[in-house]
Amino acid sequence: MEFFTPATLDVLLVTLRVAGGATLLVTPFAIAAGWALARRDFRGKSIAETLVALPLVLPPTAIGYLLLSLFGRHGFLGERSLGFDPDLLFTWRAAVIASAVVAFPLAARTARTAFEGVDPRLERMGATLGLARGRVFRTITLPLAGRGLAAAIALAFGRALGEFGATVIVAGNIPGRTQTLALAIFSDIQLGADEHALGLVGLTVVVAFLVLWTVERLLAPRRAA
Amino acid sequence: MNAASIEIRLSLPLSAFDLDVAIETRARSLGIFGASGSGKTSLLEAIAGWRPVRSGRIRFGDRVLLDTEGRTRTPIATRAVGYVPQDALLFPHWDVRRNVLAGARASEAELARAAEVLEIGPLLDRSTATLSGGERSRVALARALCSRPEVLLLDEPFGALDLPLRRRILPYLLRTRDAYDLPTLFVSHDATEVQALCDVVAILDRGRVRAIGEPADVLHGHGMPARGADNVLSGRVASLAAGTANVALAPGVAVQVPAAGLEPGARAVFALGADEILVSTAPIAGISARNILAAEVESIEARGEDVVLRAVLGEAGARVRVVVGVTQASTRELGLREGARVFLVFKTQSCRVLSTSV
Repeated sequence: MEFFTPATLDVLLVTLRVAGGATLLVTPFAIAAGWALARRDFRGKSIAETLVALPLVLPPTAIGYLLLSLFGRHGFLGERSLGFDPDLLFTWRAAVIASAVVAFPLAARTARTAFEGVDPRLERMGATLGLARGRVFRTITLPLAGRGLAAAIALAFGRALGEFGATVIVAGNIPGRTQTLALAIFSDIQLGADEHALGLVGLTVVVAFLVLWTVERLLAPRRAA
Repeated sequence: MNAASIEIRLSLPLSAFDLDVAIETRARSLGIFGASGSGKTSLLEAIAGWRPVRSGRIRFGDRVLLDTEGRTRTPIATRAVGYVPQDALLFPHWDVRRNVLAGARASEAELARAAEVLEIGPLLDRSTATLSGGERSRVALARALCSRPEVLLLDEPFGALDLPLRRRILPYLLRTRDAYDLPTLFVSHDATEVQALCDVVAILDRGRVRAIGEPADVLHGHGMPARGADNVLSGRVASLAAGTANVALAPGVAVQVPAAGLEPGARAVFALGADEILVSTAPIAGISARNILAAEVESIEARGEDVVLRAVLGEAGARVRVVVGVTQASTRELGLREGARVFLVFKTQSCRVLSTSV
């Protein structure tokens, strides 16, 4: 049986598109949340911390169901409330949103650690030198947290890559449209196509290995010059 | 109109005690002297705006940085202070040039000026990770100066260095003072540095100012031990001959110090150990020491076995005070008392020139 059929390629492309889209979507939110948790003291911070971590412990199917309720016809962000059909459910965009939500806690927590690793006195020194807040963030905080933030982004991508439970509920398992590697493996096993499933597992291992290896490289202490 | 050029009134809680400081001085350069943990760094951080202040007023010249009663709290970025913390705090992701040019108001012209005064030209393209302790301090000082500050805050900028290196770097601070002439707060626990750099010094102890005044007066009373204390003297180089410089401290008062790269007309700052000065009640001839100066005993203060004798050189109006360490026995046998005429004797090589470049 030939493994690399156009259908397999479709699965890989959908997977990369969904994981990539989810990473793009989640990155600004994760950086903002990570920075706020690392640098700001505000009322209800412990509740915010818990909310950020929540998707990590909720069953992905529960998250999927919540999203389904949110974007469903009668949901808060559904056709009736918005006055138009956002046409999200059972599209690759729904898979992106589901993956982003699931990836968010990992990315936000890694970003928080990255920001906590930057000596706040360096930021104050930037201000003392007359730099505006935005410039301090852009030219001092971000570059110094850069490797940790890159790791956060890579982790988000990795988590989105393996996402199953929430995705299958809001995006279904439609070959060529929303079927990612994780969903295709499930389908193959259901259909008894064990050999093809094994091939997909191998493909997943390769992609996941590359992502994790990148994260390790980014987070490893920099060797002395 | 308040004539004081520096006004610092601050109250803020620290973990072990409250910092409660009230300083008002006409000095251009104010030293803050005290042991570790006396609140010196917290004071500078409060002035820089890095630490919240409960109440207070900070003014340098006409610029009010903080006035809690008048509800003035200048944001950090517009305080225009040049701050050099003890650990230099260079930006690790930039090379030296980018660090020095980091300030919003920095320019290539300012960089060239600072590079000349602090001799950091050869360092500009290096990574900060490759700099020695002394080089880091000079780069941090250059970065502060290039931000075109209106006040300079120096927090033991050479605190991490050993003594010989500190002495090699002191000339850069003296040159900075002469070249930039900025109101400066200089935190240190090195009495020689404070005397060399500051017009007025405040002794800080557990968050309170215990004494304030001219460094030689205040430090000999509080900060310095009777033994090993330095006099820091300065004057213009009148002439050079055979490896020695003739430095005029006041009209009619000249001393011979090692030439050590000094040039005629230059300002020479040198340290002279209180224990390295001999006291004679009669003129001395036939001695190798090149400095024999007539003086008058101003005060005698017994401290255990030791005696701190203050003597005055020169005429009224241009007097130079010198602290001399003697023993109780010598004081007794020589019959030293206030108002006595004496001769102070010390070698050229006992004078350690602080103001030359490395």
